[in-house]
Amino acid sequence: MLLLSFAGAGAGVPLSFSGEPGHPTICSPKPTKLFSCTCIKLLPLHHHNTSTLLNSKKLRHKDSFLSFALGKEAEDSFLSDVNEDTDEMYDELFNKYGKVVFSRKDRKPSSAEVDDDAESLSFAVEMAKVANEVKAADIKVLFVKPLVYWTRFFIIATAFSRPQIDAISSRIRDLAEEKYEKIPSGDSKPNSWTLLDFGDVVIHIFLPPQRAFYNLEEFYGNATLVDLPFENQPPFRG
Amino acid sequence: MIQPQTHLNVADNSGARKLMCIRIIGASNRRYAYIGDIVVAVIKEAVPHMPLERSEVIRAVIVRTCKELKRSNGMIIHYNDNAAVVIDQEGNPKGTRIFGAIARELRQLNFTKIVSLAPEVL
Repeated sequence: MLLLSFAGAGAGVPLSFSGEPGHPTICSPKPTKLFSCTCIKLLPLHHHNTSTLLNSKKLRHKDSFLSFALGKEAEDSFLSDVNEDTDEMYDELFNKYGKVVFSRKDRKPSSAEVDDDAESLSFAVEMAKVANEVKAADIKVLFVKPLVYWTRFFIIATAFSRPQIDAISSRIRDLAEEKYEKIPSGDSKPNSWTLLDFGDVVIHIFLPPQRAFYNLEEFYGNATLVDLPFENQPPFRG
Repeated sequence: MIQPQTHLNVADNSGARKLMCIRIIGASNRRYAYIGDIVVAVIKEAVPHMPLERSEVIRAVIVRTCKELKRSNGMIIHYNDNAAVVIDQEGNPKGTRIFGAIARELRQLNFTKIVSLAPEVL
């Protein structure tokens, strides 16, 4: 998992640079450096829409620790070496001038974070598999952690009737309780939009009209899609 | 501190613009509603040509209050307005998008649907 995550990060960085040379503006280095600092945290997912993800990252990390208060001149001097590895540059600068003033005690090391991500990913994929077994249609697993802090994965699925929603949600509940000892909060009765909240994974089961109405995929359009193992299988024909 | 006769803004695109609280759901003689409480409200002002109309009675969840919200870690949040999100009897929001910042307490109170439509969660 770890190895892959670096591969993913490596693939993400050049993508973010691709649009840069055409825009020699002052603000151009900012998203780049923010992205390159944060992309390491991303999971091994494909980065097909990283450039759109970038914009939301810029907003979210605007006042994070990484973009600490640099003078305007210092900001400008970075213009020349944008293409360098910015992480290394920060480490260097930090060693030279920086000192830790305050660090949160409850912060997890990045390796633990990656482990947690991998664990929730396996849980999410397992849940999607179960939903697929009960014939939920159009199952999508979205990695939303870069966009919202309160959860890691969204599973969005369509069911065609309330009994089917009931079947899917009870199967998911049973498996989660048996195998992972997690009990969801959210809707207990089948609803036209049934939501199961497992903390790190939030499962949405919609009826087709509600799915079109709320259009969650569009709202989380910048999230990366996770590949599902059963997607590429040919449909079973008896 | 929302009580009957309080006017509320609407924080979604359901088509209502202003609500007036007429009842707080919960105990029989409850005085005030805070963030995450369900109220019965009447639509005082609505956007034209939308499914919701003026003087309709609906249910709504309070999402922002001027009265400060205290957290156990000492954080205090208060907003500049009183705002609510229109929901139906099952708890699904009537609108498709939520506007403005929303407190994370809503998730603990089982309004994860509203939280997942919100642009910003405090």
